[in-house]
Amino acid sequence: MRLVTAKAPLRLALIDGDTGFVGVVGKRFEGMGWQHRVIDGPVPAGELAAMRLNALVIDPETLGTGAWDFLEAACAALPELGVLVCTARSTVAQRVRGLRLGADDWIAKPCHAEELVARIEAVVRRRQRSASSTDAEPLRFGELEIRPDRFQAYVSGQSAELTRREFELLRLLADTPGLVLEREHVYERVWGYAMAHGDRSVDVFIRKVRQKVERLSPGWRYVHTHFGIGYRFQPESLDHDAGEEENGPVAPTEREPVGGIEVAVSDGAAVSTKSAGHPAPARQPAEHRARAGSRA
Amino acid sequence: MLADSGRNIESATALLRELVAGYPERADLAPQIRDLEHHGDRIAHDIIARLSTRGGARTPGLEQLGILARTLDDIVDYAEETADIMGLYRIEAPMEQAEELAGMLEQAGHAVARALRNLDGGHELDEALIEIHRLENEGDRVSRAALADLFAGGIDPMVVIRWKDVFESLEQGIDACESVAHLLEGAQLRAGR
Repeated sequence: MRLVTAKAPLRLALIDGDTGFVGVVGKRFEGMGWQHRVIDGPVPAGELAAMRLNALVIDPETLGTGAWDFLEAACAALPELGVLVCTARSTVAQRVRGLRLGADDWIAKPCHAEELVARIEAVVRRRQRSASSTDAEPLRFGELEIRPDRFQAYVSGQSAELTRREFELLRLLADTPGLVLEREHVYERVWGYAMAHGDRSVDVFIRKVRQKVERLSPGWRYVHTHFGIGYRFQPESLDHDAGEEENGPVAPTEREPVGGIEVAVSDGAAVSTKSAGHPAPARQPAEHRARAGSRA
Repeated sequence: MLADSGRNIESATALLRELVAGYPERADLAPQIRDLEHHGDRIAHDIIARLSTRGGARTPGLEQLGILARTLDDIVDYAEETADIMGLYRIEAPMEQAEELAGMLEQAGHAVARALRNLDGGHELDEALIEIHRLENEGDRVSRAALADLFAGGIDPMVVIRWKDVFESLEQGIDACESVAHLLEGAQLRAGR
């Protein structure tokens, strides 16, 4: 989902219990200006997504018997993530299995830090190429045009002058129109860390986005508040929805667990507490579906 | 002059609460709080200068007044420090616990000012002093819980560093209010009230 530019430092995680190896390559990563973290066990796909990584380097030996399941789950949940396996002992069958499960590359230990760096760069480069061809397409909702290639939103060609973080927030919400995203989920995806209890960053940035977008497009509401839960992106024309708007803001919703995903249904919106992967399609009234945006 | 110091504390702590709750839009209040901090310095300096001319450094009652003047000044200093840290650390948005602590500091500031007015008028201080102790206890509880929340797993270390300092500064402001309460209680005892 996220575009990586040449200016952004590479973010990667190492799942490796070999402290000597981790120390050596870690210094090399730091020298490259990359941000990296070392993980000593399997991590849920949601947490991996929140780390906003470009690449993940895994030593299956660290993960033990669950290594293959983890590899398969991570590759399936995060198709945009570059995954490299770097391990000492392996058979041809294991290497083939790993690559077929979704790994982008397989490197045998011992390996030179420089080779690992070059292979990570190659994997990330390939990912960026494929991502830029699909994710850079503009999104249009009502009067609003979201341009991932420029990290900016426009109304009738006029820039909303969003900051990078404001843009990422809008983009995240707009990627799932009709779906209520919880504050914690939004924070994890945009800031890349877990949200501290009581942190109001998401509320403040939503306010800024609203002010900037609705200043240019006063006849539309794009971001809706679900009190106590989070926010939902849904373009709504104030002219058409005058009667609907008179009823006040969207009422707090009731939650019911559905297949591991908490779904709240009030005004046709669904709440997702998922932290990764593609959210379930939102239930929307026909009139909302008709107005929902489309990729240009 | 003590009542003047109380009014200064009320203004500074009220502005700080507004700044914290409305951050970052209300970051523009920081210079006003800084001005009040300078005003507080002048009040404390004037009180101590007057005491010196009466030989305050060697007279027990007057010496306590000097300590009181400096402690009153501390409250505004911590309010100013909090506003300053939020700007220096480029904080993006408030935290609920900081808003709560700033609200408590404002209430404690009001109680301190009320106690000082009552002291000037020779009225009862107990109600205001009890309120300050209650707020200090509550502030301790909120501050500890806020720090514990910061050390939950997966939180950005920069967020932890920033907010730890802000919470501590706010708590020290409330603690300074309690120190004032202790000094006023001592004064009450000496006066035989």
